[in-house]
Amino acid sequence: MSAPAVEIRDLRYRYPDGRVGLDGVSLTVEEGETVGLIGPNGAGKSTLLMHLNGILPDAYRGAPSIFIHGVPVEKATLLRIRREVGLLFEDPDDQLLSPTVWEDIAFGPRQWDWPEAEVEAAVGRALADVGLEGFGRLSPHHLSNGEKQRVCLAGIMVSRPKVLALDEPTRALDPRGRRRLQAILGGLDAVKIIATHDLELVAETCGRAFVLDGGKIAAAGPAVEVLADEPLMLAHGLETPHILKNGACR
Amino acid sequence: MHIPDGFLDAKTVAAASVLSAAAIGRALRGVKRTLTPRKVPLMGLASAFLFVAQMINFPVIGGTSGHLLGAVLAAVLLGPDEAVLVMTVVLAVQALLFADGGVLALGANLFNMAVVAPLAGYAIYRLASRLARTEAGRLAAVALAAWASTVLAAAACAGELAAAGAVAWPLAFPAMTVLHMAVGLGEAVITVLVLAAVAKARPDLLPGFAARGREEGARPVADVLVYGGLVTAGAAIFVLPFASKLPDGLEAVAARLGFASRAAARPVLPAPLADYRVPGIGSLPLAAALAALVGAALVFGLAFLVARRRLARARSAVPAEPRAAEPR
Amino acid sequence: MKHERVDRLSRGESPVHRLSPGLKTAAAFAFILAVTLIPFRVGAVFAAAGALLVLAIAAGRVPAAYLLKRLLLLEPVIAAVAGLALFQPGGAARFAAMAVKSTLCVGAVLALSATTPAAGILAFFRALRVPSILTSMAALTVRYVHVLGDELRRMRRARRSRTFRGGKARAWRSAAAAAGHLFVRSTERAERIYRAMAARGWR
Repeated sequence: MSAPAVEIRDLRYRYPDGRVGLDGVSLTVEEGETVGLIGPNGAGKSTLLMHLNGILPDAYRGAPSIFIHGVPVEKATLLRIRREVGLLFEDPDDQLLSPTVWEDIAFGPRQWDWPEAEVEAAVGRALADVGLEGFGRLSPHHLSNGEKQRVCLAGIMVSRPKVLALDEPTRALDPRGRRRLQAILGGLDAVKIIATHDLELVAETCGRAFVLDGGKIAAAGPAVEVLADEPLMLAHGLETPHILKNGACR
Repeated sequence: MHIPDGFLDAKTVAAASVLSAAAIGRALRGVKRTLTPRKVPLMGLASAFLFVAQMINFPVIGGTSGHLLGAVLAAVLLGPDEAVLVMTVVLAVQALLFADGGVLALGANLFNMAVVAPLAGYAIYRLASRLARTEAGRLAAVALAAWASTVLAAAACAGELAAAGAVAWPLAFPAMTVLHMAVGLGEAVITVLVLAAVAKARPDLLPGFAARGREEGARPVADVLVYGGLVTAGAAIFVLPFASKLPDGLEAVAARLGFASRAAARPVLPAPLADYRVPGIGSLPLAAALAALVGAALVFGLAFLVARRRLARARSAVPAEPRAAEPR
Repeated sequence: MKHERVDRLSRGESPVHRLSPGLKTAAAFAFILAVTLIPFRVGAVFAAAGALLVLAIAAGRVPAAYLLKRLLLLEPVIAAVAGLALFQPGGAARFAAMAVKSTLCVGAVLALSATTPAAGILAFFRALRVPSILTSMAALTVRYVHVLGDELRRMRRARRSRTFRGGKARAWRSAAAAAGHLFVRSTERAERIYRAMAARGWR
């Protein structure tokens, strides 16, 4: 049995002001899975995602708690981990930092000193993957939310990460943008962990779901089962999405 | 006071550019010493912030409005080295994309607004806040520093114009400095107001500020010497030759170089004050310099009194909760 | 806001737009250098420069209204400083020289920025090996000026919809408070940007 794609063992984290962020989180995600990470605001979902590629904590002490394909996430492995794990942040404006789309997607490969020809090819491929051919010379602030997000996705996928972590990917999307994102995600060959309030998305795309509340995993299991468990959902500030409730509309 | 192209001659541009480059180089080294990866996005965004903030209108009279320069604001919020770099980027972007200030004259504008303004301003802030260690004192120190930074930058600007032969010193210095003593009041008020707003929302961003008496780290002596040396060199090149000469010094030079006959032609517009003298004090530049000193004392005193009164009033209100900045 | 207009213009279509950004930037620099250094008495040069500039502006389809508006904003400074020269003997010639030269140079920069996206001009300086901290800062500035400008606009709109009393003092305090909050939000955004950069391998 090969190592799981993502393994988290008893992860604990305190915010700089002392509050408890994560209080002993353990979970595994296997190769090929798409899992949902759901929970109320303040549960620690973003914090957890940021541990996956080593952005948090600020300093590494003690034994590592996170393993990506068996490789521990610690100071020495950070650069390598960040190529294996792609993190899509909530606000596209925070990660679209170059003056043009092309330059932004090239940001990653340029960090790893790829030869310019390879960078060209990779950026072109990434743009095609997200359906934004010809957008290279545009400036980010001219794009719609959906387009911005696809550029961010392209910028991450350009390095072909094996694990993709997405933080609230559908928050600012209109229904068409949402469908498009779902289609793109469906075509990506990577383990996906989606932290979201969009419970319909979880029901439609995720095999399993984890409920995070107060820094702990409160429940885990097949996504549809977890979501359909109304008392569980309500207990953690969520609710069962309509498509899973008995009878279509009330 | 962005000098456009076409006003300064080659030697003045060259001299100012060399001084600016040296100061910016020094600032780069200073920043690199304490450079955490976070600093580059922070300074980049600070530049974007200043650029946008400089566009804000502060209505004065009729249709005119004042604007923030922000050199001292940047220095207090980010540090003097960082402020030099931030002002450099802002001025460069303005010159190259908007023609706010000349492209070749950029070296001179950088010297005035990215070197003299933040560094001299910061030095004055540190000195003044040492004298008055209360919170009101610190705000007054900021006000004085912001005001002084404007006046000093204007003086340097006048010096460059005079050195280039564009405008005679006895006219440039008083005109620029007196005008900017008024402009500097706006800068002082705006800087203090913005700083107070930042301190209220995120006191942690201003470690030395709200806390009483807690000293910020001492600058390495080398830094102070280098920066001080560069600003002094600028003063020596642009200001002192004129300040030390009598107002008729230019005429003496002109006579020696044979321009005297040409200069004898009447000026297009009558000079505002015959021979640039003010009764009782003597030369106009000297009068302007004295006015600056008096102005400095007034600004500091006034700012201190106002700050003390407002702080006393604010303290009797409910204090604001500092916001946590961590993501969930 | 002015950066929005320039940005839109720089993305237009014209023979000048299609030229390489490096070439245009270098040409503008050369133009400014020549205009500044050549003595004004060589009048023909300046007439030619003016003609060249007008040609570039026409070919670049830079709207005359935009140019005039920007010139109008910048001319008072030119007029004021040059005006000081009038108070001196021999001032008329100096005034004319300064006014013509600086107007030509301003025109060159406006023509350049209206036909060349900022990113291209930035690339020129990166190629000149300007220290990377400065070019990175400049790139971030160019990128986030629009974002911060929008944030500021939204903040002031929200404030205005809650303000019923006028007065200058209130206006100043409101504007300064908006600036203060914008700074705080900018530092927080900078932190998020840093994380995004780190996540993509930046050191």
